Amino acid sequence: MENILLKDKVAGLDGYFAAGGYKPLKKALGMTPADLIEEVKKSGLRGRGGAGFPTGLKWSFIPKDGQGPRYIVCNADEGEPGTFKDREVILKNPHALIEGMAIAGYAIGASRGYIYIRGEFAAEARLLEEAIADARGRGLIGANLLGSGFDFELSVHRGAGAYICGEETALLESLEGFKGQPRLKPPFPAVKGLFASPTVINNVETLAAVPTIIEKGGAWYAAIGTPKSAGTKLFCVSGPVNKPGVYELPLGVAFRELLEKHCGGLKEGKKLKAVIPGGSSVPVLTAAEAMAVALDYEALAAAGSMLGSGAVIIIDETQCMVKLLQVLARFYHHESCGQCTPCREGCGWIEKILDRLEEGRGSAADIDLLCSVADGMKGRTICPLADAMAMPVLSFVKKFRAEFEAHAAGRCCPPEPAGKH
Amino acid sequence: MPKITIDGKTLEVAKGTTVLTAAQQLGVHIPRYCYHPKLSISGNCRMCLVEVEKAPKLMTACSTEAADGMVVHTATDKVKAARRDVLEFLLINHPLDCPICDQAGECGLQDYYMDYSRAKSRFAQADKVRREKRRVMGPHLVLDNERCILCTRCVRFCSEVTKTSELEVMERADHSFIDAKEGRALDNDYSLNIADICPVGAWTSRDFRFKQRVWFLKKTPGVCLGCATGCLTEIHHNEGVIYRIMPRPNADTNTWLCDPGRMAYKAAQAGDRLKKGVIKNGLIDLEPALREAASRIDEHHEAAAVLGSPWLSVEDNAALARFAKDGLKTKNYSFDFDPEQGIKDGILINKDPAPNAAGARKVKAAAGGLSFKELSAKVASGEIKVLVAEARAAGLLKEELKAGGARLIVFAMNRSEIPAGAYATLPYASYFETPGTFINFQGLERRTEPTAAAAEGVKPLWAVIGKLSAYSGGSLRLESAQDALKGI
Repeated sequence: MENILLKDKVAGLDGYFAAGGYKPLKKALGMTPADLIEEVKKSGLRGRGGAGFPTGLKWSFIPKDGQGPRYIVCNADEGEPGTFKDREVILKNPHALIEGMAIAGYAIGASRGYIYIRGEFAAEARLLEEAIADARGRGLIGANLLGSGFDFELSVHRGAGAYICGEETALLESLEGFKGQPRLKPPFPAVKGLFASPTVINNVETLAAVPTIIEKGGAWYAAIGTPKSAGTKLFCVSGPVNKPGVYELPLGVAFRELLEKHCGGLKEGKKLKAVIPGGSSVPVLTAAEAMAVALDYEALAAAGSMLGSGAVIIIDETQCMVKLLQVLARFYHHESCGQCTPCREGCGWIEKILDRLEEGRGSAADIDLLCSVADGMKGRTICPLADAMAMPVLSFVKKFRAEFEAHAAGRCCPPEPAGKH
Repeated sequence: MPKITIDGKTLEVAKGTTVLTAAQQLGVHIPRYCYHPKLSISGNCRMCLVEVEKAPKLMTACSTEAADGMVVHTATDKVKAARRDVLEFLLINHPLDCPICDQAGECGLQDYYMDYSRAKSRFAQADKVRREKRRVMGPHLVLDNERCILCTRCVRFCSEVTKTSELEVMERADHSFIDAKEGRALDNDYSLNIADICPVGAWTSRDFRFKQRVWFLKKTPGVCLGCATGCLTEIHHNEGVIYRIMPRPNADTNTWLCDPGRMAYKAAQAGDRLKKGVIKNGLIDLEPALREAASRIDEHHEAAAVLGSPWLSVEDNAALARFAKDGLKTKNYSFDFDPEQGIKDGILINKDPAPNAAGARKVKAAAGGLSFKELSAKVASGEIKVLVAEARAAGLLKEELKAGGARLIVFAMNRSEIPAGAYATLPYASYFETPGTFINFQGLERRTEPTAAAAEGVKPLWAVIGKLSAYSGGSLRLESAQDALKGI
């Protein structure tokens, strides 16, 4: 199958033109916004940031009438541990994102777009700015796009390194210049988003798929993947495999195929223990569960996990699940915005319990306490960060309880060399 | 109008009503920390989670709007468990220093712990997050960040009510703490409201701190006499000592109370409070002081004048009017105070710093008299030889007194109030010690109630005037404040 998102020789504007770039924009500008949204709905495209919400439906929530500006915002914060796919799109195919944003802007009536990019992506931000300048030079960004009468301005805004700013409403707060903290919903961004105006926020990978959908039609895209999980997905594979990296594959691909065919299997001598299939926030799968699962929204949900951002983290037998969970807890504790009580207090508490267990100061009661604290956080906060901490805790303990019990009984892993973290 | 069912009781509510306020209308209390009726909804404490049928997760009652047919349960096992968990989370890093905390007895953590939790701590004591315990924040407040539950009421108060935005939540996660923005002091005129709305003991009043346990306090309704707004207050006192003044929220004037208004009780309990008369600069017992004042008035009977006061109650102004008309039988008196009034700062503080200009005008309507201008001209010209006035009102004629050289007989509560050059000063009881009627800038009549006894020998002003009249001119036979009112 031909790649939609990751192509060779399309990073520059000329290469992108040569591959048929910006034709979809011209086509889109000749359509009505309603038809455009219909086409995206037909494609079955779902949000690639993690939640998997149908993109066309999201666009259709923008009020049809009403005064004032609307905004299209691209979430390029890419903060979910294990995820490094959006960066790849920006580096290899930036104009697909820019074109996708112009099309999305036209579809929802937004003449202003922002790309909120992870602060650490300094080079990528520069590259995007150059690409936007190139596009502007050819009349593809700016006033009166391709003579259509539609104006579209686009700018890049760098974040300051907070994981929480990947949550769409925290992103909006940050974009407006405030401390990045998720907003209470409702109102949803489609009604009251950026600068209190109707706003759509889409992930890089989602927007970059839009030009191809417009060019080849929603039905063509919907035929890729599974009936409910259409299209291709970028899978970022990390861990002890022979060829870690980003792979664009149709949704529904078997994990086994991804691992063995594309990634060249585990490194020699390594044995698969577990897989986190969708970024660090989703429940972990055991090796047996992973080897039997297909990588799409429905199959992973049925297996008790989630597709998430498509970050596939491979864990082999030599890794300690308690230690891994401790690393995750340290991360979520550090990144909790501190707004809601359960997340603010719970993340720190979980880290402390895991510190005890990992260092051999814990007890068997700590294992149940860990789960109880996680239960107390789950589903009770403004944004899903508390769930993102709770789900790994509950799944790690449930599936690898023996390792936790061994730690509680004092059989800990050898300490890591100092200065490792 | 949506119909909502809460714990089996159905109610029709206005569109936009939240589940929390709908429940309140039904008499169902939903616990909350961050919610405050006069502040925006932040939904961060998660204490008000309730079960809404057909909703996959528990919902925050403070932010969820009532919808038609919505069925809410506030006391299911799921809800109770959520409350217990939130309380546990709030308490793990809390210092539990209730024995030395001023909030003890009126603390949201204590109350809800008793109502909804009573669970034993599962947290290792030694692991608590430590924060700064004593940070002086502006002239009136101390902040204990260890006790703080980060509900952000204080932050929202400063950004939404005073619009001064001094405060912010710094840092993230459980390192979060409240602080003033760089280079800012928390010195707005309403800062003490923050200590009131803080649901825990994080914000305490520097004035009230460590003075009295709240459960010993008796509460008497009061009226603030700090300006013409005339806010309703609640005076908290014990054994004759006032410890703090709190707002008594009402739809007419105030939810909040300004800092100067809260500090008004200080003068009534100050060390320079007068218990005796003062002649020139010497303290003297009240009776000889009265006799001396009376004989000075008698020297210039026809050239004596009486000035009413917007700082005095209607009753005391009436007594002054009677003294002028029936006692001294002079036409030289004025109750004509008509300063510009209205809210100066958009919140509570009035352009008119006196509480009762309208009350004085009421006395003028009944008793007549000169305009303020006419009386000042007479004082300035030297036509008036002796002026009887309340100390602050006498201050309005400072220049005229200097020019005309009239002898000044004043009524004052504190020695610091006595105008320079006053000949005789007579003490009187404050309105914390005696009732009085005041009319605010909206024309609302409000009455103070005594909370403490005046020092021995110190009488209400109408009684002092009654006595003065017995020594000078004709006796008014004032037995009560009502007697003063009757005659005019």
